[in-house]
Amino acid sequence: MAATTDFVAAQKVNRRNTLVLLAVLTALAALVGYLIGWLVESESAGEVPALSAAGVAVAGMMAAVSIGWSALSLALGDRLVLALANAKPIDKADAPQLYNVVEEMAIAAGMPMPRVMVLETDALNAFATGTRVGKGTIAVTRGLLDTLDRDELQGVVAHETAHLANLDTRYMVVVGVTVGLIALVCDVLLRSLSWGRLGRTTRTGSSDRKGGGQALLIVLLLVVAILAPLAAKAVQMAVSRQREYLADATSVQFTRNPNGLISALQKLADRAAPFPGVSRATQHLFIVNPVQTVTSRTPALLATHPEIADRIARLRNLGA
Amino acid sequence: MGFWIFLGIVAAVALWLVAVYNGLVAARNQAQTAWSQIDVQLKRRHDLIPNLVQVVKDAMGYEQETLTKVVQARNAAVAASGPAQAGPAEAALTVATRGLLGLVESYPQLKANDNIRQLQEELTTTENKIAFARQFYNDSVNAYDNRRQSFPAVLAAASLGFAPIPLFNMPEAEREVPKVALR
Repeated sequence: MAATTDFVAAQKVNRRNTLVLLAVLTALAALVGYLIGWLVESESAGEVPALSAAGVAVAGMMAAVSIGWSALSLALGDRLVLALANAKPIDKADAPQLYNVVEEMAIAAGMPMPRVMVLETDALNAFATGTRVGKGTIAVTRGLLDTLDRDELQGVVAHETAHLANLDTRYMVVVGVTVGLIALVCDVLLRSLSWGRLGRTTRTGSSDRKGGGQALLIVLLLVVAILAPLAAKAVQMAVSRQREYLADATSVQFTRNPNGLISALQKLADRAAPFPGVSRATQHLFIVNPVQTVTSRTPALLATHPEIADRIARLRNLGA
Repeated sequence: MGFWIFLGIVAAVALWLVAVYNGLVAARNQAQTAWSQIDVQLKRRHDLIPNLVQVVKDAMGYEQETLTKVVQARNAAVAASGPAQAGPAEAALTVATRGLLGLVESYPQLKANDNIRQLQEELTTTENKIAFARQFYNDSVNAYDNRRQSFPAVLAAASLGFAPIPLFNMPEAEREVPKVALR
């Protein structure tokens, strides 16, 4: 498709990445599970088994947790997010202009009309959520509705529609689960390692009989268990920032008017009103980060969103 | 052995042709669905305009040239059918409605009227929806044409009934905003 290629292709890539991520996640969880079971069994038995039965059992358990957690997040994720953000559904009569603008963007993207919700706060922000095609929700704050003009509102809604059309909303849920599970697994690994080490110091004689290979493996595991959650978090944030740039670009593809989104982003940056009660768990969903203020900057590596000035500069390059 | 290789190649080619054919059907259906979306929005605009004209007329107490123009353009657009005819007629109607909206903007007593404000928003969104639906329709037609004119579809598309679909264009030349005179 001529002009629609970009988001149709983005959707395809996100679909594939989601599957790959789920497979890798499950395999990783199973591997770590096996290692834990194997360590525990070899420590308690005092010898290294060729195929650890405990290892296989823990591996199965970890894989089940991984699949179950992902399935649960995909099924209930958007309901949880909407409840956390305290979003209220609205009818066309409540905010006709918002409703119309969402309808316009759904037509531009050639997708079914998403649900429209409002967050009752003066802060200027908006987010989209939805793990199934055609079952998305777009929520904007009351402050945003009162402050932005029609073109600016259209830019923001187009950005959120782009997240839905690109299926970013689903992809980011799975990425979030992956990061959470990696952190959990590494925590479990660290605990079981220190438990194993404790077991060994009480039986000082037996530790010498084990080869240096196992000691090396334990050190390696220790390093991985400490670094992996940090690396996973950094990757998640990088993916999140890249999705924001893509949604900005797709939004211009829908509206053919970069000025609306540019001027909206400027207002969002200038009037950073406090957003009371916003959860850190949902910060990456919003069009601009609701938690970070201009004064307290997070290091770039761990930021959920690119700098607004940077986003505006890229939009200007699109021919504003 | 040679027979099986031959059979395999024939099967592969057949599968490929099926995929090409199905791709054409999907692209044509998307273009047709996209057109029906434009149609819905055009009809909506045709329904909205008489309301707006009536409310403006009531609020002003007299009829203006702008209003007559809008009504004429609207009737011409209702009579047109299909992308080729509707394009110019709808473009003319767009110009006329912009004139009407401009008229509303220049009269404070019209701008303050709640009915008019509501109709104004509805007309604006319908205009936008027509533009976005047109954008999506033309993209879909382009995608369909690309498939139809690619090899090997180009050899058989016409004889299988995959006729060209016209783009929906609203000529830009008439798009200058008309001057609104007070009388």
